Amino acid sequence: MANEPTAISPASLASLSTICYLPPWSRPHIIGIAGSSGSGKTSVASQIIKALNVPWTVILPFDNFYRPLSPAQREKAFANEYDFDAPEALDLDMLVNVLTDLRRGKKVEVPIYSFSEHNRTELSTTIYGANVIILEGIFTLYDPRILELLDLKVFVDTDLDICMARRLRRDIVHRGRELTGAMKQWFSFVKPNFERYVRPTMQQADVVVPRGLDNVVAIDMLIKHVQRTLASKSRLHLEQLGQLVGTKGANTALATKEDIESLDTVRVLPQTPQVQAMHTILFNRATTRDDFVFYFERLMAILIASALDYVPYEAKKVQTATGLDYIGLAATTEICAVSILRAGACFETSLRRILPAIAIGKVLIQSNSRTGEPFLHYLKLPSGIENKFILLVDAQATTGAAAIMAIRVLLDHGALPENICFVTYLADKRVAIRRILAAYPKVKVVVGKLEDQIRRRFIDTRYFGT
Amino acid sequence: MTSHEASSTPTVSITEAPPNVTVLQQTPQLIALYTIIRDIKTQRADFVFYSNRIIRILVEEGLNHLPVQATSVSTPTDLTYKGLKFEGKICGVSIMRAGESMEQGLRDCCRSVRIGKILIQRDEETAEAKLFYEKLPEDIKDRYVLLLDPMLATGGSAIMAVDVLIAKGVPVERILFLNLISSPEGIDAFAKKFPKLKVITGFIDEGLNEQKFVVPGLGDFGDRYYCI
Repeated sequence: MANEPTAISPASLASLSTICYLPPWSRPHIIGIAGSSGSGKTSVASQIIKALNVPWTVILPFDNFYRPLSPAQREKAFANEYDFDAPEALDLDMLVNVLTDLRRGKKVEVPIYSFSEHNRTELSTTIYGANVIILEGIFTLYDPRILELLDLKVFVDTDLDICMARRLRRDIVHRGRELTGAMKQWFSFVKPNFERYVRPTMQQADVVVPRGLDNVVAIDMLIKHVQRTLASKSRLHLEQLGQLVGTKGANTALATKEDIESLDTVRVLPQTPQVQAMHTILFNRATTRDDFVFYFERLMAILIASALDYVPYEAKKVQTATGLDYIGLAATTEICAVSILRAGACFETSLRRILPAIAIGKVLIQSNSRTGEPFLHYLKLPSGIENKFILLVDAQATTGAAAIMAIRVLLDHGALPENICFVTYLADKRVAIRRILAAYPKVKVVVGKLEDQIRRRFIDTRYFGT
Repeated sequence: MTSHEASSTPTVSITEAPPNVTVLQQTPQLIALYTIIRDIKTQRADFVFYSNRIIRILVEEGLNHLPVQATSVSTPTDLTYKGLKFEGKICGVSIMRAGESMEQGLRDCCRSVRIGKILIQRDEETAEAKLFYEKLPEDIKDRYVLLLDPMLATGGSAIMAVDVLIAKGVPVERILFLNLISSPEGIDAFAKKFPKLKVITGFIDEGLNEQKFVVPGLGDFGDRYYCI
């Protein structure tokens, strides 16, 4: 078995810590769409999102930011006498905070407003990981603080008669209002406020879209613009992942297996005869699936046990059945796991055999088969990860891109880098390991076998049979 | 690990032992597992679970002392992979009753392994170990034998069990003795009696008390695993 790992040399540590990984959501593209009530802002936003057809786009409606009403105000609201179309009705400060956080790539909670109760609900929606955010509302281009946070400013300029017709229809059919009340609101608040506050903001717009959704050419131009932006973000993302490997003079120190194994944040399973024989069974295409599952789980039990040595422990005194004391150790931190789907799910049986009650979160990160760019599709994490030791599991790390993104997701949710332990069966030593170490020098890495060449992902296919 | 005072330093296994003895690497996790099973307050469900975890580590370490042979296979991606394959037939032999607790750990690693049994009890009158029963695979002399007993106190019953195996024609160098906790006296006597036999133990404790129990130990392993 391996001896106590030696400490990393200060020189290579310094060079490692200079690089940082920024996922696509660390600087999302924010589009603002303004226009009169009933102008078709929401439809334009939806049309763009639908055409992009990728999960990391999100619409942020201004409506969520209405201020909670006092009982007196609520009474007026039910009598259609409350002015919802004045800037004061909205919590612009809160919106600015949310938008600022989103722009920094942070996870944000957006309140949910109830139109039937005229009040903010207890509920909220979480927005995280979006590359494109569309903010839509009549006052989108009103507040200078918001203008500064927008990358593209759009004004939908639809004839007010059409706006009124749409609005009345929506109020009556979908919001259960009376015709007279809805009319009263239009003429006393909506229209005058539009003329007073909203129409002047048209001059802030980069693009004015006349006729709303009917303007196919303009919508198409907007979609193309966003697609170009996404493509250039992808290029940057891939470039940045590429820079995490030695070429930029960063961690060329970690060129050999010995260099990697000498780090005290890295543990490669000792390649004992049994471990080597198990690799051989797993790599053999003639192995039955039954045997594959059995030996994979047997080997992962050893790997997970090895990772548990990174859990913080403290001395603990117990009394034994012989009446004497024994001073041993006890883990001080609760352990949870997060699997990077799909291959990480191969670990779950083994994890539960060792830690039966462990909470297991999931992150689905898929890489583009052509470019290798990773995308975050789905996320469900255990609660309280900021205080837990996290085993982040994946069967194979080839380019390291999925692991790097997953670690960033954990950090964004409050996990401490020193409490994250990335556990993988196979890892490419030249690319995957060095990228991970370069991006996160404090994260622990536990590997079953270091690979000299990039091996196509095959573990999950063999394990699940699909 | 915090160790402001000597009394808060965790105790790890004694490492001095005859050359044919392998002591498991004393990792923080292993010590934490031992701390749980030693604790008198640990209930049976946890005792069984955490003992099994140590046993699994012991079995994996034990299996590493078995021979392997070079082989090459084709991978799903159509490449040749040069690796190793298991060599030779094995069987387990548990010294009843406590040794049977280690069978599951062996089966978890070697699914269809044959398992023989030896019952040795201390004679109440002479205080010496006495063989009561044995049931072993017929071809045991052609197999590597993993002899299982979690506690090694004086070494009396383990020595007798090895004598039984030798009488059946098993070459002593093909016997591996797997053990959770041993006394320095017991391990010394046993390993020196059979210098070609390999011993894998998880922890060499401080010593023996007057009742010949390993101390600080964990009490009677069989009782804690099966009865109390």
